[in-house]
Amino acid sequence: MGIATGEWHPANSSRAIPAVLREDGILLVAAEEERVLASAVPERTEISPRVGSIPRRVSFPDGSVFETRDNDGIDTYLRGKRGARSGLIHRLEQFHPRLILMTLAVILLATTIYRFAVPVLVEVAVLVTPPFVPELIGSGTLASLDRTILKPSELPEGERQPISEGFSKLATHSKGGQGAYDLYFRDGVIGPNAFALPDGSLILTDDLVKLANGDREMILGVLGHEIAHVEGEHSLRQLYRAAGVAALVMLIAGDVGSGVEDILTQGGALVALSYSRAAEAEADRRSVELMRAAGYDPAALARFFVVLEDKLGDHGDASILSSHPGTPQRQQDIRNYAAELERRLQAR
Amino acid sequence: MAMAETAPRAAVGQSFERASFTGSASEYFGIWIVNVLLTIVTLGIYSAWAKVRRMRYFYGNTVILDRAFEYHATGKQIFIGRLIVIAFLVVINIGTAIFPPIGIVTPIVILVALPWLIKRSLRFNARVTSYRNVRFDFVGTAGGAFVAILLGSFVAFISFGILAPLASRWTWRYVFNNLRYGDRPFSSDPQIGRLYRVWLLPALIVFLGSIVFGFIAFVVIIGAAAVMRDSAELTSTQVTMLSIAGLYAGVFIYFILYGIAGLFYRAGVRNVAWSAAELDGRHQLFSDISRLRYAWIAISNVIVTVLTLGLMRPWAAVRMARYVNEHTGIRINGDPGEILSSIEASGAAISAEYMDMEGFDFGF
Repeated sequence: MGIATGEWHPANSSRAIPAVLREDGILLVAAEEERVLASAVPERTEISPRVGSIPRRVSFPDGSVFETRDNDGIDTYLRGKRGARSGLIHRLEQFHPRLILMTLAVILLATTIYRFAVPVLVEVAVLVTPPFVPELIGSGTLASLDRTILKPSELPEGERQPISEGFSKLATHSKGGQGAYDLYFRDGVIGPNAFALPDGSLILTDDLVKLANGDREMILGVLGHEIAHVEGEHSLRQLYRAAGVAALVMLIAGDVGSGVEDILTQGGALVALSYSRAAEAEADRRSVELMRAAGYDPAALARFFVVLEDKLGDHGDASILSSHPGTPQRQQDIRNYAAELERRLQAR
Repeated sequence: MAMAETAPRAAVGQSFERASFTGSASEYFGIWIVNVLLTIVTLGIYSAWAKVRRMRYFYGNTVILDRAFEYHATGKQIFIGRLIVIAFLVVINIGTAIFPPIGIVTPIVILVALPWLIKRSLRFNARVTSYRNVRFDFVGTAGGAFVAILLGSFVAFISFGILAPLASRWTWRYVFNNLRYGDRPFSSDPQIGRLYRVWLLPALIVFLGSIVFGFIAFVVIIGAAAVMRDSAELTSTQVTMLSIAGLYAGVFIYFILYGIAGLFYRAGVRNVAWSAAELDGRHQLFSDISRLRYAWIAISNVIVTVLTLGLMRPWAAVRMARYVNEHTGIRINGDPGEILSSIEASGAAISAEYMDMEGFDFGF
């Protein structure tokens, strides 16, 4: 009795002969009418596992191959031979209401991974990052910024000196100590801004100093905030987070298409440039601590947001363009934290 | 789209065959979701076997002259390939922790090894593919890969894409001229003039797109500046904040523009390169993808995939495979049955080492 009809190929040849696969005693036989083309005991043949409804291959030890589209015939034969265990994965894959459950399981697991596994992976990656990596990123970024959008500062030395001194005081109270940070004064098109590179380089723009209008403590509050970003390795974390999410999506989904791949890799790089809301809040609080430890007004950073609010008309609860939490809320949080810190330290 | 108009017609003694895709989105969805689930549950280990099932599904449903292609790589091979890569990364990481200069040398070593890896990957993918029981093979060298892919990308990049057709020519010549089907060689010599003809439209998209958006940006900035001059408070701060917003918008728009132009270019180059390719010096391949339709399918696929958080990806993949297959084919010079029966496996593909131990199969 035949198992399936199909075509038989001699070893290494594209020649095809219409053939039938059948059982002949203990042998599995590929035959054209009565002529036996290939035969072997089933244990020495290899039958390709079923995937969808693509053709199946039965390879004989002499290198010849029987190929058929009759998947059901092959499956019936295999069930009789090996029992129900064969083709488990194919049965799972069949279009069946069960797939809804699997889809739900995937959604649940993916959410769990995003929520819990990604943060852990990021921490591990930060932990194993050799120290020269942030050094390289930092010096490389500063060099390319200097070539493109940054210019040397035009502030008089007399104005820069006191800021640098205050900055050193803040840095002494930070985790890395004074030696871990360098302050660079720059001018450029990026407006009133201060930012930190992962190697501890802080860039302060002339516009921000002018915006402060002589309020030096306010500037130091902003610098304290930036020191906190370096301490917390926030930019490295953000980078790993974007890269990690992209890598996990590609690993798990297997093939997401080149378009989605581009969005994940290049869009991820853009995301990596911005800080997260949580990191901003953490840096705000750390600024309060550092300012207090250095003997300055702990809530000076809040004044920076007042000025920003006045100048830029940012009255919303959250700005759209960046991940920076809305400034009114941040001012309040900073003042609350400063007061809380005061109470806590006095109670001690 | 000039290609689409001149739909190839069967001449005397020639038979003209299009490929087709016989899979369906509902069938592939089951395979895909099980792949995803098992990959997560096994902490990623299953992904190698998942890849094999996915590839077998797509190859097995790519049908031409009533016969399907086959993918023969095993999960174990691909898993070993991935283990080697991970082991390498771990060793490098530990090495740099102990002796930091290793970290500086590593990128150089990887860059030098890249052509070899590309060659190995192309060879692996060719050797695990068969049609009518005969395997493909790839005989390109690492030096060839260096010129065709690394030097090509570099030339295309530093010329702002103006020399991209040259790079495409190198790449496709490297791929086709080193590809073998059994004992028969493929060959392709895409004409540079034809490549520039398909380069023109994407180049115009980027060029005109930049002008249009540049003009819009200019009007917006002038307008905003005028409004601010009228309102009493003109601060440089506001202007800079606006220009930062503009910078982000600009990067975003360029990303989109280059993406769209890239789709048009890819489809156009594929048409030219495939239509210039021959099997055994006499059977002409062809590709007549409509660039507009291809771009539309690719873009709508991305949108649908993202909006459904990936759940429609199987549908998108099947949709693209169907379109591309149906616009790819071969013109057999002679009787197809006879010709296809006469091809024998040969060379490395039948010797003992034809299956590489490890599945280096990175896309390029």
